[in-house]
Amino acid sequence: MSRRALPPLLLCALLAGAILLPSASFPAEPVSPAALAPLPPPPSPPENPTTPEKVELGKKLFFDRRLSGDGTMNCATCHDPENGFTDALATSLSYPTTRNWRNSPGLVNVAYRKRLFHDGRATSLEEQALFPMMSPFEMNRNLDYLEEVLKTVPAYVEAFQAVFGGEITRQRVAMAISAFERTLLSRDTPLDRHLRGETGALSSRQRAGLDLFLGKAGCATCHNGPNLADDRFHNLGVPEDPKAKEDPRVLATARFVGKVSGFPEYRTLREDPGRFLITKDPADWKAISTPSLREVAATAPYMHNGALGTLQEVIDFYDRGGGDDPMKSPVLRPLGLSREEKESLREFLATGLSGKIPEMRAPVIP
Amino acid sequence: MVKHLPYRYRDHSRIAAEASLAARDQGKFREMHLLLLDRSPKLDRGSLIGYAKELKLDVPRFTKDLDTMRHQPELDRDLKLADTLGLYNTPTIFINGVKFLGDRPIEEYRTAIDRELQAAGTGGKNR
Repeated sequence: MSRRALPPLLLCALLAGAILLPSASFPAEPVSPAALAPLPPPPSPPENPTTPEKVELGKKLFFDRRLSGDGTMNCATCHDPENGFTDALATSLSYPTTRNWRNSPGLVNVAYRKRLFHDGRATSLEEQALFPMMSPFEMNRNLDYLEEVLKTVPAYVEAFQAVFGGEITRQRVAMAISAFERTLLSRDTPLDRHLRGETGALSSRQRAGLDLFLGKAGCATCHNGPNLADDRFHNLGVPEDPKAKEDPRVLATARFVGKVSGFPEYRTLREDPGRFLITKDPADWKAISTPSLREVAATAPYMHNGALGTLQEVIDFYDRGGGDDPMKSPVLRPLGLSREEKESLREFLATGLSGKIPEMRAPVIP
Repeated sequence: MVKHLPYRYRDHSRIAAEASLAARDQGKFREMHLLLLDRSPKLDRGSLIGYAKELKLDVPRFTKDLDTMRHQPELDRDLKLADTLGLYNTPTIFINGVKFLGDRPIEEYRTAIDRELQAAGTGGKNR
């Protein structure tokens, strides 16, 4: 593997959802409860303010199969509202004849993310939205062609004119989808109510889990702030999927991503370099973005490649001190959690962070 | 119950669906179905006839069914049903009304079946 600086990544994969509990800077002292906070109202960026009309347009585009090259996939294919806005698979669904290599993350509260994708290559939803459309192993749609396809639909022409005061462009497609995604919220979990001072919002077991989350288990070192994510990157030593290495379609995907990322040895790439693909910083080798833990119970399986199937497996993974990667974060170490403590932590993660996931049906597509 | 959704952008998806139905008429749908998955993408006419020989089907009858597209009306009905239900991906599997999209680990289906059976109770008494 080369560690010299290389040009930045230009293309690929799906935004991501792993789970990260303890982290690179494991705390000697418990994290203050003040490190957590109820979720504020979602942002409405001045360059793309959220309006009801834009959200409605974005919802239609989110569910429109015209966004994929063969007309079989829309955003909801991999971000299914009935599956916590994921596809509930270890590695995400893919364009016919191809295979994805990373896990599809949930979209609830994605409005608060500062970096998108497991490798953090996008810094806004507007930037993120176009990647899966043009990725050959996801929706495989040529964006020049997409613009022309959408312009043949009078209802879309009218809607874009009304919302943006202009014609259909790929940037406006992304802006509308982003505005819709910013409405996918869950802000009233037992943790939120507890943080707002509501007595009894957490059960005694959830409360014990929260204490572990902030203390012995070290979760809040990385999973902090209102969205329970530090928006940084960490190598946890998550094991590669051995079956994936034997599938030539997965290898093709990995090598393609390496190639367009300027990874010199992409032809022999057999693992996911994570954030390193973007920064070319050796410190970022196999580092993956910290996901939010809100509504985490709905987004199994976990980690960037779905290596861990349940919250229990995730807790056991961290209790062992993470994976075996020699370059994993050196401060990960065995936690020594008792069975009772693991169960309390699982209960807090599974129910203390779960509110109401938005329910929706696919709209009528013009 | 199996319904067919031959992928419109694959050269041999339609004739492969015909082959599975022609095999069904001779009592070997499952055997042909598994063989097609195993041998894909070799699904051209000659290969399909070879698979019929392997399965010891009545090959002249099988070949005639392929060449006359005997099951075209049935396939068209399935395609229309999929369109009506808004289904575009294969496989899409329903277990007691619960939808599973895409190729998934067998454990996921087992879990779903067990869950539905448990919810139904003995003899379906909870339904």
